[in-house]
Amino acid sequence: MLDLFSAELRRSLTLARRYPVEFLSGVALLVITFYAIFLGARYVSGPLVQFGKELDALIVGYCLWSLVLFAVNSIASSLQSEAMTGTLEQVYLSPFGALRVILTRALAGLGLNLVITVLLLVTLMLLTGRTLSFPVTLVIPLLTVLLAAYGLGLLMAGFALLAKRVGQFLRLGQFLLLFLVVAPVETFSGPAKLIGYLLPVAPGAGMLRGLMTQGQTLDPETVALAFLNGVAYFVLGLMVYRRAEREARSRGLLGQY
Amino acid sequence: MLQVLSLRKTFRSKGDEVEAVRGIDLEVGAGEVLGFLGPNGAGKTTTIKMIAGLIRRDGGSVRLAGRDPEADRHALADLGVVLEGNRNLYWRLTARENLEYFGVLRGLSRTVARQRTAELLARFDLASRRDDPVRILSRGMQQRLALAVAWLHRPRLLLLDEPTLGLDPGAAEVVKKLIQEIVEEGHAVLLTTHQMGVAEEIAQRIAIINYGQILTQGGTAELLRRFSGETWRVTLEEALDESRRQRVLELGGWLSNGHVEFMGSADGLYRLLDTLRPLPIAKVERDQSNLNGIFLKLVGGEADA
Repeated sequence: MLDLFSAELRRSLTLARRYPVEFLSGVALLVITFYAIFLGARYVSGPLVQFGKELDALIVGYCLWSLVLFAVNSIASSLQSEAMTGTLEQVYLSPFGALRVILTRALAGLGLNLVITVLLLVTLMLLTGRTLSFPVTLVIPLLTVLLAAYGLGLLMAGFALLAKRVGQFLRLGQFLLLFLVVAPVETFSGPAKLIGYLLPVAPGAGMLRGLMTQGQTLDPETVALAFLNGVAYFVLGLMVYRRAEREARSRGLLGQY
Repeated sequence: MLQVLSLRKTFRSKGDEVEAVRGIDLEVGAGEVLGFLGPNGAGKTTTIKMIAGLIRRDGGSVRLAGRDPEADRHALADLGVVLEGNRNLYWRLTARENLEYFGVLRGLSRTVARQRTAELLARFDLASRRDDPVRILSRGMQQRLALAVAWLHRPRLLLLDEPTLGLDPGAAEVVKKLIQEIVEEGHAVLLTTHQMGVAEEIAQRIAIINYGQILTQGGTAELLRRFSGETWRVTLEEALDESRRQRVLELGGWLSNGHVEFMGSADGLYRLLDTLRPLPIAKVERDQSNLNGIFLKLVGGEADA
């Protein structure tokens, strides 16, 4: 397994190094988009309005959104593109099993993307002049967010195996993910609070905002619920993917696009 | 090495049912090439993909060195597959990177994958292009690399779907030679091809399939012997019209390079000549049977070459 992980890591680093324009333009686009939103909001609000904690939350939400988007796409889009180029069947011929290869690949790509996210975060802090907290405990909500995000990625990948052309669906999914990442579930009360805990990604994202922008500490009950949320969506993704894979094999769809 | 028994597959889509494979039996031994021949849509690729576990079978069994690749993913370590076309490699990676990556993906350690990569780059004459991305390699080189990738982990069985399709004669010759070398080392190969010459040259046994069923199966030499002396070639001075062409096909004849060919009894030949009347006949000759003739007799139709 270690050899497989290292092979996947080398593969993603090689591609990032060989096609730097693709890689850097992605990062630049993220920075420019955020800055445009920031300037637009300042213009609309007028010069006297000062952004404070809201801006901090926006920075955290935006960076988290890019990370979650990558996690989902690293599984769903990568599988769709392999089906298109035809290498998916070769992945399915691995004695490791395709699912293990796909998850190892996602994990290998995560390291690179965490570096990009940190760079993005630092750039946005410099551009806006804001400072965020980085307590070690942020790893816990981050893990719950990633679990749910990979679950969503597997779910989308399952659809991609059967429906193939899910590009439009994935693009629409970006907005849904943005909503999930920025939804202030921590402020919900009553039945809405329960719904907030059922939404994928949202509970962990809420905790991260609290940690990084308001200096809050972790509440064990909220951590447990966010962790359950992450595991539940990951397991759901695994189940849907397995089912879709079985159906795709049965209908002879693995090698088609 | 490979035993396939009563393999069946039906595809269902929007209320339609297509029986792609209908009870196929196959066997390939170590050090043997089985030429698996059939027209487009006959069920060759579906069969290959069912053997590899890429398509779920509806019935029958597949045993690769005693294990079923569909149920036991470890059985895939004994299998190498080159699927049709140029869809077996990562085009953005170099030849060396593809080999090293796929070596690990097939279960080799990184060290062994690197050693085997160096060996195969030299043996498949790709060493000088080892650091070129696959997308800029010629089609022949890509196909050699795909074969090297499939053979990297030294599987006991290679499934090759049209490995010489789209290659120029020189490149096809090189691929053919590499397949022969692999077989001489004791590995088994199941090969589909439309190029009868390739199958006749390198396959020890032949199975011909049409409409999902095996029409005939046996040793290549035995098949040629069985059908030899029965083939007739009629050369006409004028082109055949459509109605006569249809009648020729109905009588079991076929068209090859502008000639009318027929395999069967003398009575059958006279019936065919009656059909051609009154077209001027330039020549009637008895032809040595070849795989192309046998194939066309069994599946009907026209040969491309």
